[in-house]
Amino acid sequence: MSELERLQAEFQRSILGQDSAVLEHVMDGPREQRDVLFGVYKNGYASRLTEVLRKDHEYLHAYLGDEMFDQMSKLYIAEHPSQQPNLRWFSRELPDLLRTAPPFAEYPEIADLAALERDLNDCFDAPDAPVLAAADFAGIAAERWTDLRFVPHPSARRLDLSTNAADIWLALKSDEAPPDAVRLGSACRLLIWRQDVTPRFRELTDEEAMMWDEAARGLPFGVLCSMLAVHDDPDGAAGRAAGYLQQWVTTDLLAGLS
Amino acid sequence: MTISPQRIDPALGRDPRTTRHGQKPDFLGFGLGLRAQHYADILDGDPPVDWFEIISENYMIPGGQPLRILDRIRERFPVVMHGVSLSIASTSPPDFDYLQMLKDLAQRVEPRWVSDHLCWTGVHGQNLHDLLPIPYTHEALDHVVNRVQLVQDYLGRALVLENASTYVQFRHQDMTEWEFLTELTRRSGCFLLLDVNNVYVSAFNHGFEPHEFLEGIPTDRVVQFHMAGHSHMGTHIIDTHDHPVCDDVFDLYRAALKRFGAVSTMVERDDNIPPLDELLAEVQRTREIAAEILSADDRDRAS
Repeated sequence: MSELERLQAEFQRSILGQDSAVLEHVMDGPREQRDVLFGVYKNGYASRLTEVLRKDHEYLHAYLGDEMFDQMSKLYIAEHPSQQPNLRWFSRELPDLLRTAPPFAEYPEIADLAALERDLNDCFDAPDAPVLAAADFAGIAAERWTDLRFVPHPSARRLDLSTNAADIWLALKSDEAPPDAVRLGSACRLLIWRQDVTPRFRELTDEEAMMWDEAARGLPFGVLCSMLAVHDDPDGAAGRAAGYLQQWVTTDLLAGLS
Repeated sequence: MTISPQRIDPALGRDPRTTRHGQKPDFLGFGLGLRAQHYADILDGDPPVDWFEIISENYMIPGGQPLRILDRIRERFPVVMHGVSLSIASTSPPDFDYLQMLKDLAQRVEPRWVSDHLCWTGVHGQNLHDLLPIPYTHEALDHVVNRVQLVQDYLGRALVLENASTYVQFRHQDMTEWEFLTELTRRSGCFLLLDVNNVYVSAFNHGFEPHEFLEGIPTDRVVQFHMAGHSHMGTHIIDTHDHPVCDDVFDLYRAALKRFGAVSTMVERDDNIPPLDELLAEVQRTREIAAEILSADDRDRAS
């Protein structure tokens, strides 16, 4: 190991608070002692990453308050040190930690809020793609419809929440008092995507969520209609499927047909 | 993706004295760091600024609004790319995934140059997201020269490296920071981004004379000045980029202009970001000071 390698390893360990061996290799400044000067790096590390978490999770921060959010940040920074050169991806594992780590895991709306914000962040800068317009369907012969498959826009993603975190998030965003957290009897099925440049989400019915999930897996329109017929009134299945499809098209959720 | 140094084409500038990637970029005038808070004012208006500098990592993303806006801005203004995560001095293996993303972005943006810092940001797979100091030793110099050459070969362009603000100095050093930078640019062919504020900050923190730093840097290798604000803690200064540029740094800028002549200059604000007009006023001040200093120099030469 070279001298430079050894020095960098010690410097990093000292920033992470694992030891202070590097202080033997640095000098006092003309007006300040070395431990204070080194503290600029040490303190900067935690505060910089906490700031990233606050920026990525604005309404989770609002929900938890400063003290609890900082406690959470400290835990996350210790458990998930950054391994990416780009801070953009630093916070991505936060919802996973919050589902398992006490005391946060006792309040599932916290992980749900984090998951919703992660998905909104992810669709903000997801890949671009052209969106389907109603006119793209105009020339399709009736007999081809059963075989049509739909390509979701790359920003679109589904998220099932076990709590009313979506309502909490919307209230916080509107600067209103959030409702009490409740566990839901059945999942809140969200579809999250970017329309033009703006991230959006809306809640789906169980039926639309099922159709979206299967369409995203590549099932053709005919099979999707059959599934809807089993799910609810069979006579109206094709109409309901067409209605869902129309809404997907008018809100820029589809990027292609095959 | 990993790649061994042996896979780099040996014909690509391995001679340490080569400057095959190194045409010195033209003077761009007076610029500003592009920040998301100002997108609308820039796109809807006609800000009196000659060019913009972007933080490379902010646009190393798959898609969406930031890249679209950047595409529109670069239609109207020259753009340069400034990174914070190249970690050129790290002893860990080079991150070729990062380099490929940087190269892809440069192909899209077509920047006038690509810069980063003389620093390291982490080792052993961890990133501390800070501009960490290096000892100014012969060993470190050899290491950084090799890394710069490798990165220049990979990107197919000369790198521009910035002097970072530092808070500690190492006991064992073979040379000063300015001697290190001079040798680095001479041996690797890279250019220099002289952050005037960082010179001021490091000089205060370590007790050297900032004008000695300027006098030690070769005049033909500096392609850009950074101007920024800092936080004075009494016993030391932290390079926070959250204040206006102070008068002392403007004074050092005057000295830098006298030594280096017309150098593309930009105002860098990263936190506590004010309305665009406030930063444009600082850009205007850099422009006016440069006009004053450079015209006085012309008169001196003519007389």
